[in-house]
Order: sequence, then C-alpha cells, then structure tokens
Amino acid sequence: MLIRLAGGRVIDPANKRDGISDLWIRGDRIVAPPQGETPDAVYDVSGKIVMAGAIDVHSHIASAGVNTARLLLPENHSAHVARPEATPLSTAGWSTFETGCRFAAMGFTTVVEPAVPAHLALHSHLELADIPILDKGILTELGDDDYLLSLLRDGASKTAIADYVGTMLAASKGIGLKAVNVGGAVAIQNDVQTFDLDDVVPTYGVTSRQIVEALQQAAIDLGIPHPLHLHMNNLGVPGNIDTALKTIGATQGKRIHLAHVQFYSYGKEGKHGFSSAAAQLAEAINSAPKDVTCDIGQVMFGQTVTVSLDIIRQWNSRPMASPRKTVILDGETNGTGVVPYRYRSDNFYNAIQWACGLELFLLLDDPMRSLFTTDHPNGAPYTTYPDLFALIMSRDARAKWLADLPKEAVELTNLPSMTREYSFSEIATMTRVAPAHLMGLKDRGHLSPGALADIAVYNDDPDRAQMFRFAHLVFKDGDLVVRDGRVTHYRKGRTLTIQPTYDGMIDRRLARYYDDLYGVSRDLFKVPSAEAIGRDYAFEEVACGR
Amino acid sequence: MKAFVEGAAVGLDAAAAAAARLLGKARLPVIAGLGTDVAGARAAIALAERLRGAYDHLASDVLLRDIDVMQQISRMVTTPGDVRLRADCVLFVGPKPRQSWRELLKQLNLASPPRLAAEKKARKILWLGPGRGEAAEVGATKIAAPPGTLPQTIACLRAAVLDRKTRVNGALGRKLADLAAQLKEARFGVIVWPIESFDRLTIEMVNGLAVDLNRERRFSTLPLGRATNAQNAVQTSGWMTGFPIRTGFGRGYPEYDTWRFDANRMVEADEADAALWISAYGAESPKWKRAIPFIALSKPETRFPYAPRVRIDVGTPGLDHDAVEFSREIDTFVATKATKASAAPSVADVIGLIDQNLTKGSSAC
Repeated sequence: MLIRLAGGRVIDPANKRDGISDLWIRGDRIVAPPQGETPDAVYDVSGKIVMAGAIDVHSHIASAGVNTARLLLPENHSAHVARPEATPLSTAGWSTFETGCRFAAMGFTTVVEPAVPAHLALHSHLELADIPILDKGILTELGDDDYLLSLLRDGASKTAIADYVGTMLAASKGIGLKAVNVGGAVAIQNDVQTFDLDDVVPTYGVTSRQIVEALQQAAIDLGIPHPLHLHMNNLGVPGNIDTALKTIGATQGKRIHLAHVQFYSYGKEGKHGFSSAAAQLAEAINSAPKDVTCDIGQVMFGQTVTVSLDIIRQWNSRPMASPRKTVILDGETNGTGVVPYRYRSDNFYNAIQWACGLELFLLLDDPMRSLFTTDHPNGAPYTTYPDLFALIMSRDARAKWLADLPKEAVELTNLPSMTREYSFSEIATMTRVAPAHLMGLKDRGHLSPGALADIAVYNDDPDRAQMFRFAHLVFKDGDLVVRDGRVTHYRKGRTLTIQPTYDGMIDRRLARYYDDLYGVSRDLFKVPSAEAIGRDYAFEEVACGR
Repeated sequence: MKAFVEGAAVGLDAAAAAAARLLGKARLPVIAGLGTDVAGARAAIALAERLRGAYDHLASDVLLRDIDVMQQISRMVTTPGDVRLRADCVLFVGPKPRQSWRELLKQLNLASPPRLAAEKKARKILWLGPGRGEAAEVGATKIAAPPGTLPQTIACLRAAVLDRKTRVNGALGRKLADLAAQLKEARFGVIVWPIESFDRLTIEMVNGLAVDLNRERRFSTLPLGRATNAQNAVQTSGWMTGFPIRTGFGRGYPEYDTWRFDANRMVEADEADAALWISAYGAESPKWKRAIPFIALSKPETRFPYAPRVRIDVGTPGLDHDAVEFSREIDTFVATKATKASAAPSVADVIGLIDQNLTKGSSAC
C-alpha cells in the first residue's frame, strides 16, 4: 500500500524541516517520494499540520496501582461518555481500551508506563495487552530492594550491581530503569518521616545519593538507551528546590532523567511558606550537562487521583484526599499509595503548583531536554494535554487562566510577564524528537524515509486545544486509525523492551536468594513469553549498546 | 472433554453454536460464576459487552464487602511476603483464617524472626477471638472474643490504642489495654483477618485500627480469602471496564451496580433471560432457583439444580492448560504451566468459539 499525504505543512524538527511538502508511506514505513508510481491512496492535507506520532515517556497507564485506583473510584467514570462507537469496550470509562483510543485521538502513538515494581511487571503487561493501537513500554522500578541495598552495603562491584539490574530488567521486560525516592521506603518502614538525598537508609548504611549513583552507573554500564529515570526525594514538599538542586549537582555529568520536576520547584517563602522556585530550577537544568533531561509533570485543575510508589509522599498526603478515601499498600518493596485529589483553581497552593509548571515550560530553554508530561494522573489526567498545549503556545490563553486564580498566588509568579509562546517546531521537538531520542527509539519521533509511519495530521485550528484534542488523521505503522478525532478500528500495538546482557551467574545467586528469603521461586516473578500474556501480544526489542 | 446440548453428547463446535444461538437471542443475558483465569475473564467480559449483558462472580457477596469498604472508607493492606519478612507483630483476628489457605502458616514463617526487620528478634503473635486451639498452635497470646462481638471489641481496642475511654472495664478492658500497648510497640505490625466471615463494619474496624496504629509506627492488614481466583475477574474487569465485577452493558456502556447486576437477583427477578455459567476451578453451580435456560462451562462432576441447555466441560487453569492467574503467595499475577496438560478446552477457547458463531466477520477485542 502506497499512501501520499499531499500538501501539508510538515513539521519535522529532527530534519530541520518546517514547510509544505508531501509525505509518502509504503507499508509501515515512511518512504522517499517514489518516482513514477501512483499511490493507492491520496489524502489531501493542505492547510493541515503534519507531525510524527507523539511519544509520552511518563504516564501511569497500566499497573497494579492504577488498577487499584480504578477499583477505588468507580465514581470517576461517570463523567465519561461514549466515544468511538464501533470498537469493543470503546465506551468504557477509564480503561485500557479507552487509554489507547484517547491517546491515539490526540496523535500519540507510543506511551511509556513509568513505575512498575519489578515484582509486579506481569500485571502491567496484562494491562498493556489490552491497550489498543499504541506501542508501549514499562520502566522497571528498583532502589529499595534488599538485594540491591545489600550489594551496596557490602561494597559489591559495579559489575555485580549492573548484573543484578540487568537480570531484573530482563525478567520484568522493561525498557528502562526507574527509581523512586530511593531509600525512602526503607526509611519510612523504620519510622523516618522525611528522607533527603544525603540521608542514610536505616540498617543498610548507604545514602540515597549512593543508590542513585549506583543505578545511574548500572544503566550506563548495561548500555540501556534510556538513562536512569529518577523520581527524586521530597516530592511536593515546600522548599524541596534544595533537594532538586543537590540532585542535579550529584549527577556528575552522567546521564539522568529527572521526572515531573514541577513537583520539585517549590520554595518556602511568603506567608503560606510555599512559593515558586521554578526559575532557580530551570536555571540549574539549563546550565547542567546536556545529558540531564527532565519532564515537567504539569498540574491542571480538576479531579484526579495520585498513584505513586513514593510511599512517604502518599502516606503524608492522606489527610488531603478528595474524595476522602485512600489505599495504602505497605509492602512489595516500595509500597503503593492511591490518594484521590482535586486540584482547585481557587486554592493558593494548587495555583502556585500550576504556575510553577508553566514557568518551567517557559524558562527551560531546550525542548530536547524538557519533555511534556502531566505525570498522568498525578498532576492531571492525560486528557488535559490539549489544554496544556494551548497554554504553552499562547500568552493570551495563559492570561485567561490567570484571571481565575487567587490574587495572592498570581502576585507570587512571574507568569504574567512571560511572553514565550511555543512554536509547532518546539512542540514537535518536545513531544516527538526528544522522547524518541531519550528512549533510544531510532525509528520514530521523526519523518525521515525509513522511519515508522506513525504520523499525526492536525487541523491548523487557532484553538490549539481543539486542534490537539482531535487529530484530523493518525497513522500507526502506516495504518489509518483515527479520522477526525475518532478511532476507526483497533490494531495491536507492540511492547518495547530491552534485553541487556549480563553475567548469568547472578540468576543462580538470585534463585537461591528468593528460595531462601521469600520461600518462593524467583521464576514466579518472571514475565513469561508474549504468547502466554495474551493473544496477539508482542514484544519488540530496542537495542542496547555499550 | 465432553459437550452436551439438551443432554445429548455433541461435538464442541455444535455445542458452541447452540450456546451462541441461546445467548444471541436473549434480551438480557448474564455471565455468572466467572471462576476462570485471566484469559477466560477477559473473553467473558468482552462477550458480555458484545451481548449487552452483565457479569458477576460466584464469590461476589464476599468480595464486594471488602471492595465496598475500600470504596466508602479506605484500605490499608500488605502482602504475605511482607508479613514473612518484616512483621515483628502479627495480630490474628477472628477464627479460622487458615480455612482458606492451608499453607498460610508455612508461608508466613512466623516462628523465625523477620529477616528484613531492623531488629531480628522473635515476633510477637497475638490472637483476638481465635477458634478452639488455634492460638496455641501458633504460640499466640489469646484474647477471647466470640465472633459476634468482634466489631465492638475491635472498636474498644481502637479506643484503647487512642487512649480513649470505653464502657468496657474489668478483665476484658485490662486485656484490651494491654493488647493496645503491645500493638503500639510494634515496628511493623500486621492484622491478619478472614474475608469470608467479616461483615462490612468489622472490615472497616480492622482497617481503621491499622490506620490508628500508623500514627507512630507502621501497621497494616492482610486479608485472607478462599476465592483467590476471583481476583482474576476483579482485576481484569478493573482494567477492561474501569469497574469491579457486577457490571452491565445493557445501556451500551459499562455500569457498575452491585444491586442491579447481582446475577442471582437478575435471574430471580425475571430480568435476565439466559445465563452463561462459568466455573473452571471447581464444581460450583448456580444458586438461583428460577429455571432460565443456561449454558455451563464447568467441571464434569458438577451437580446442577436443573439441567443446563448446553454443557461444555472445561479444563482447570494451570492444570489442564497454561494460565495467567492471581497467586496469593506473591499477591499478584503469575504465569502457570499446565501440570497435567490435557485436551480439555479453556474457558477462553470456548468463548472464542461462541464468539465466532455469534458474529461471523467482526472480531471481539
């Protein structure tokens, strides 16, 4: 099948391209304009914006914790209405099927679930198997596990640590490595209520900083394309800018990705002891080495639910739950906290959080290093992305929102004076080129011949939220799956994994360790073949390189 | 493997076709039982959507008590592995927690100190309201409480934990005060309780007690239930529809309603006019009395209150065929290999055949 997308404005910053041209698709790939061939299908996309499919590196879409949140909050679905009618389960609310459809409708074609405890990976893969259209991946979470902490306590070699991380990634079929408030879970188990970068993990005698460094190094040693994906200490705590600055300083020029940095951009000035330190944080990231990247984790107003492995944070958030109910799993290494929350535009603290995120968007100078996220659903559901695109693309849109905020919050932000408006090219960099590069996905994020034909075509609607909410056309692997914001049919996506190489002796050590410690075989925790997970489930390997 | 239509042995395809005819012409079919693995639950829920029917699980009455308390109040929970490795204090509440899990005590390994605790010393084991001989068997300190008095007794214990006064004085009052003091000394304590025998109020009290004890130290709960495989249906339903079990598609979208989509009620009230009964783990049969036509995907030895129109013998997940199912040992899903692989079809296989007969051409999700 040869397809020609005719006359659109092609925005492809990876190839420094922004102009009117045709784009050709053959099979599942983008191809150079063929000579003397007649296309099987031509789509007139003149006046439209053509980009690669968008990639999300941090959305909690599929995990035991997310499913607990669904079961906890049946009332969260009542607002959902029927969408693409002709597809199974298309009318379900906050489901896997809905996730695939709604991301696709916005032009997203690859989404990464960023917080999967190593022992709960099969659950995530089962959910991913039911997310249609998208390609997916999971980040495997390590950092508070006894085996790793014992290796560090005992002064094990870099190689031994890389072997352990390698086998855990392979067993969970992850695409990268995640760490969450490392050491914090063990700390709270030992009655410690706050935990910072240089605090010592009780009973193991290592600091959070040492664990971060070890995991960062292991990711490098294993040649994992994605650097360590770090949820820093002290998320959401007033004054945590200090933790963020220390952590950036600790990266020592090595690759690292800092997740949802908005939640770390808080000072403690003013009469409420809560203020924006976004400018300081942006300055630190801007001047850090190029391999220090971040995503924003923007807060948007409305009802959501927070789902996190940061058990200190979630435990401390319980009194703020809205509606007033929570699930705390104290176990499975980190634990998981599910705390519903409503961000309110008339709340001073929430308004500051919202402003902090936007200040970061506008002050971070390199969209290759500052990725677009809401930490779905923790800052806001991914369904708010279109509104967020509008906010960063339009000073006027921001002014309208600012008019509704508490005066005392507006006075504490420089947002009204910030004039920056993101261009299409910057949007495409932030949501296509950068995440593909960060995940090592060479076949996507751009529109070069040979690239995967994941393509989003948007109406150039001056209402940017409307434009990004309903893509005009979306192709996944060259297959037209969305027309005018509606999913036309399901197709199965793939789950992207890595297969790091390591010394197999670690598997023998771990077999003994699990038998002895847990009293069950380690094999129980291993993610089985794609076939065992579900009909048509498929893995695709992303190359590691040393 | 055997299949029957109106009592007569037929081939699997013919049975699936007959099942499809029965379900296809039903006004409101209900899929009940749902005792199956993840693939079976997934296929059943997708079929319910296609039929605009509803689905329910045979253990719903028990499961939904716990889920209801979570949805109304909150939940504090941990895993068997964490009890084994971290708990320095274990409080059993109520009789017969092991009824649902014979290997429980071996798995929890309570006789050994918790390996991942800061202090590796002998655990404190306490039992509020044990059955006869149960406390002694695990070396637990016993605090007697008849099952009927548990909610009040736990409430008094909560009061004692919070240093509040209660009307309970005398020996029980002193015992509860002493118990509260011991619980407050725990670094990581766990309340182990049986799902089957606790009502909503007691479940709420157990969770509330854990929350109260968390003010200074860590405390959690470990619910134990017989119907572990029900998690296959509950979790799969969660991600497929966003809701727990007892969900219906009658209006073209999923609605969760524990009263309207109670399969037994639907049948007795003449709302459901056909049923698909699924029980692949054991020989359970429907509890409804009214004789509506139904299809059974069941074990050969099942005794039905009246004959199903179509009966298909299915394999046991993890025994006759490979399966993904919830494991209570590790408190999450596990892929199990068939231990006695046979030709008996899985629930997902059979529903796949029914589905093919229902709609030639368009495929389910």
